[in-house]
Amino acid sequence: MIVKRLQPMMSHARRSYVELMFQVMGRALQAISEVDEATRNETCELPEGFLFEMQVMPNGPKLIVEHTGNGKLLFHGDEAPRPVDLSIQFKHIAHAFLVLSFQEKTSVAFANDRMLVDGDVSYAVRMTRVLNRLESFILPRLIAERAVKEYPASIKLPEKLISAARIYLKVATQFVETVRA
Amino acid sequence: MTNKYYEFFCPVKVIAGKAALEHIPYELTGLAAKRPMIVTDKGVRAAGLLEPVIAACEESGLEIVSIYDDVPPDSSTSVVKDIASVYRKEKCDSIIAVGGGSAIDTGKAVNILVSEGGDNIAKYSGAGVLKHPLKPFFVVPTTAGTGSEVTSVAVITDEKKGVKLPFTSSFLLPNAAIIDPRMTLTLPPHITAATAMDALTHATEAFTCMAKNPLSDAYATAAVKKVSQSLLSVMDNPKDSDGRLELAQASTMAGIAFSNSMVGLVHSLGHATGAICHLPHGLCMSLYLPYVLEFNLESIREPLGELLLYLEGPDVYSATPASRRAEASISAIRKLRDALYKRCELPRTLKETGKVLENQLESIAKLALDDGSIMFNPREVSHEDAMAVLRRAWA
Ligand SMILES: [Fe+2]
Repeated sequence: MIVKRLQPMMSHARRSYVELMFQVMGRALQAISEVDEATRNETCELPEGFLFEMQVMPNGPKLIVEHTGNGKLLFHGDEAPRPVDLSIQFKHIAHAFLVLSFQEKTSVAFANDRMLVDGDVSYAVRMTRVLNRLESFILPRLIAERAVKEYPASIKLPEKLISAARIYLKVATQFVETVRA
Repeated sequence: MTNKYYEFFCPVKVIAGKAALEHIPYELTGLAAKRPMIVTDKGVRAAGLLEPVIAACEESGLEIVSIYDDVPPDSSTSVVKDIASVYRKEKCDSIIAVGGGSAIDTGKAVNILVSEGGDNIAKYSGAGVLKHPLKPFFVVPTTAGTGSEVTSVAVITDEKKGVKLPFTSSFLLPNAAIIDPRMTLTLPPHITAATAMDALTHATEAFTCMAKNPLSDAYATAAVKKVSQSLLSVMDNPKDSDGRLELAQASTMAGIAFSNSMVGLVHSLGHATGAICHLPHGLCMSLYLPYVLEFNLESIREPLGELLLYLEGPDVYSATPASRRAEASISAIRKLRDALYKRCELPRTLKETGKVLENQLESIAKLALDDGSIMFNPREVSHEDAMAVLRRAWA
């Protein structure tokens, strides 16, 4: 009985968590594309105006970013200004939760059929690398090692500390701005 | 690296062995098909491989209504459209694809058009677009390597736009795959070797990449064992139909394995090399396999070590200390490549192919990083990593 009563609360909490993490990731993607050269090397290959979406099926939380040129990403919240070019879709909110709470690596989730790609696979490959890099930036090393396939050797501690702090700072200020506006 | 979750799917009826072709009429009738069309290429026809298929059907009173034998090596949207219109004009009701990867992919694409309607195959490109089962579709492979008879993917070139259109749907899987040793008996040595190395690579990557699972593992190891045991004896005795059947089955089993657990960096590099230097796919697999395994070594030590049992047999396996088995597996594959080089000069390095320039390595690396299969490689691959593997494979 307790399980039955707890279920709606848990699934509500899971949904809120996924929504919040999409917000954080969306802002962090924008921030990392401004401060990190390696990320821009990946994203600059995307067409200008390219819209990328992560979504939970069938109509769950969403994250939409746009490549505005020169590798810069712009976070659009959960509304796309036009049809998206690439969509990565989680089959269920539970799978999104596994990935976004860093219990399952993004690449493993792909391998485990938790997600579908709709769009050009080569762009999906690129965006997965960007997400891996983002995860290793914004997470403490211990968790990052669980979340990404391999912890990039080129991120040394000082660079990581400084960049992570800058990203956290940017995310935080953007949050505050959103709340005010 | 066991996964806590996996999916496995293969609804294809496998009809394999001596006189397998003669089962086609019965199987077609079981699906209420009476007017089959054969889709094939000129090479298959010239090799006389259609005769036993046609004879098998006619002896049972089943008429092959139409034969399209002009599928090019790289099939295109206009070819698919042409075949679909012949199919409609002749009022066919089923398709038998006879050939290698291209004929099979063409058969899959034609089946989409004749089942869903219309002339524009591009409309159905992508994943999960199809929502209904298609017409009865049989595949008779004439090479032992691609495994296309058990994959849910087709790739067709849109020649006007100059892009390759991928189609993915479980409805593309044929109703039956007919594996008859007669169909691969006359395969030239060079192609026998290259396509078998493709099958070996499918099995090895399926067994060592991220989406491996217990069911695909069983198919992968069995396929590795069959290739290791039969490839060289078939090279020495091409008319050995038991050995031919072993290789054909290995190819199908490896196909089932990799269509459920994907492939990795060998295929990323191979696809890129095929696109830039126009080398055959199987040859590319043979070129890169050992070097990619060396690159992935520390991430795949355990499963790669396990493969030694299937590559070299129980005696070598038990005589090799557990800590050396992964390296021994790589040596076994190198040894096999040397043996193939001796028998048919199948190149072992990019330089030996004579068709790759050293200054093309950069663009191969760049293209490989965009390939979908890189997602399932157990190690993350940077541009420098890809270049390092390519340089090792150069000479
Ligand atoms: Fe292959």
